[in-house]
Amino acid sequence: MLDILTQLGAGFIACFTPIHMLMLLVGLVVGLLVGILPGLTLVMGVVLFLPFTYQMEVTAAIILLTAMYVSGTYGGAFTSILFRIPGEPIHVPLLWDGYAMAKRGQPAKALGWTLVAALIGGLISACIMVVLTKPVADFALQFSSPEYFAIVLFGLASVIALGKGSIPSALISLAIGLLIACVGTDAIYGSYRFTFDLPILADGIEFLVVMVGAFGVAEVLARLEIGFSSAPLQGVGGTRTQLPSFKEIMALKGMMLRSTLIGHVVGVVPGAGATIASFVGYGVESQFGRQRARMGTGVPEGIVAPQSAATASVGGALIPLLALGIPGSGATAVILGAFMLHGIQPGPQVMMTSPAMVYTIFASLFIGVVAMCVLGYFAIRPLVRIMDFPEAVVSAFVMIFCFIGALSIRSNVTDLWLMLGFGVVGYLFERMRFPIAPMVLGVILGPIAEEAFMNSMISFQNDWVVFFTRPISGTILALVILTLVLPVVGPLLPRRRHVPAE
Amino acid sequence: MTTHSLSSRVSAALPYAVLIIVSAALWHFANRIDVAARPGQLGPDFWPKLAIGLMAIVSMVELVRAVISPNHSEAHGITDQLEAAEPLPDAEELNDRSIPLLLGGMGLCVAYALLLGVIGFPLSTFCFLVAFIYLGRFRRHGTIWAAALIGTVVLSFLFLKVVYVSLPRGIAPFDAVTDFIVGLY
Repeated sequence: MLDILTQLGAGFIACFTPIHMLMLLVGLVVGLLVGILPGLTLVMGVVLFLPFTYQMEVTAAIILLTAMYVSGTYGGAFTSILFRIPGEPIHVPLLWDGYAMAKRGQPAKALGWTLVAALIGGLISACIMVVLTKPVADFALQFSSPEYFAIVLFGLASVIALGKGSIPSALISLAIGLLIACVGTDAIYGSYRFTFDLPILADGIEFLVVMVGAFGVAEVLARLEIGFSSAPLQGVGGTRTQLPSFKEIMALKGMMLRSTLIGHVVGVVPGAGATIASFVGYGVESQFGRQRARMGTGVPEGIVAPQSAATASVGGALIPLLALGIPGSGATAVILGAFMLHGIQPGPQVMMTSPAMVYTIFASLFIGVVAMCVLGYFAIRPLVRIMDFPEAVVSAFVMIFCFIGALSIRSNVTDLWLMLGFGVVGYLFERMRFPIAPMVLGVILGPIAEEAFMNSMISFQNDWVVFFTRPISGTILALVILTLVLPVVGPLLPRRRHVPAE
Repeated sequence: MTTHSLSSRVSAALPYAVLIIVSAALWHFANRIDVAARPGQLGPDFWPKLAIGLMAIVSMVELVRAVISPNHSEAHGITDQLEAAEPLPDAEELNDRSIPLLLGGMGLCVAYALLLGVIGFPLSTFCFLVAFIYLGRFRRHGTIWAAALIGTVVLSFLFLKVVYVSLPRGIAPFDAVTDFIVGLY
């Protein structure tokens, strides 16, 4: 423990260097803006900033993207509460009590509760992350290829079960992602697969091309088709944040801790990001909380529960990413991509080989959560004003960032064409209600899964039973089955339906 | 079977029929992968065939379900089930789609990719920004041209001079514009 604290202290010192602080600040501001603007999603924002990180040192790059990730879970709260416009699905639960409190004439108080929830949720989650990552990584050092295969499979199964869209469409999306990852030279035998004699395909399809196309271009095209909005906002002038008193905060300390733990645990599960954390946090409070009868009428519990859970999910999601190398969500997949672009494969080894980098990233999360709340408190008016920016202009620049993102990978126009192709694929997915996340995670995790699977089969003489007979991989595979059964059985279970207050 | 129900069955089944055809084509190409595996070992074609098989089987099941009952209920991911409690505003707008706008957007992207190598990054970016903003039905002319001009200069300078991303300069005489921007400061 002392060792962890010492390294964290060194991380704080490293974090206070000008370049790291600059990246942190830029990441926080951009994350808040991305959260506020309805046309931009959190994942898209993180993807679009990847090209800026190419020439950066890896720690600064990850600090930038992690800061965007954490502040993206907070920025959309402003518009949910003030204008009933959730910038992200994460902030849909804030419409119920946050907007209701604002309608009762207390928007400043609602914003104050959001700030406190994000601050406490984020800091507690960061503490748990620091304590847990090293032991998880140490445990993962015992893993062999069957365990790695089982873990990756669990990640993919979670994305299918916990994500958007129907299960069959998610499976198809995943299969397409796995196939895209197969293009190029096979890592074990060196055979060409689906290259069609095109030299550029021999190197494979860069997953960034897929991500930028499917998340960025597809989203802009889909919004263009339904028409960009350009109505200016009313009533931004008097926007401010009023913090609750210490006594009021202490009265909710139990539920705040509960929601934070829920958010953290949900964040740890691959595939379950801030959106699920936010909904589950709200759901638990409305089922079991002391104020459950008044939920939806504008009570602080209905604001604190989803916000603290959403921000706490970030610390949770970074544990599997750093300790196992498994991204659990779209945003952490991009952060994994940034690591890989800099030649670093996150996982148990990285805790031993690059502890200074890991603890600097940890420290940046603490500083980031505090700075995010300070920014949210003092800069709320100009931040919300950004919604007056015409969506057509923002979207045009988003497209240019997508183009630059594709061109900067290998400086090859073919990547631009591929990216546009995946943009169309992503648009078709959206139209046909196929989820995009399984495809993208299939592209990223496919090669890891294939390598672990093939190595297992070579090492254990094609005995596939080994995945079930080894204790750890067997347990994880049982979890995989449970995860896939959950969405089928879930709707059959009786539940109380929440009716939002009007 | 009424015309309406027939068309809804066809439209529900069509994507899966296409996916089955694509799976068959990909299986054909997977069979042509050079297999260098030792006897008894899985070769480089195993993993792609596994993914193709998954896609084909799920598509077949969905095709049959779509033909039998186009409006059948499906198991959904947890996020969908949670979000169903509060549909986002976008869901209401989905019936008001404009195909010309979409095709226009795609056309501009294709034009950008085609022109990039000829007129270079700054000019193609400027043209794209102006055209795309007009396509998005924004009509404040001064803002459009100013945003496109400032955006182009800032992005070109940032990526060509500061971040050092290798972006196309264009051929003569258009490369002069790129050189001019890079030469600033």
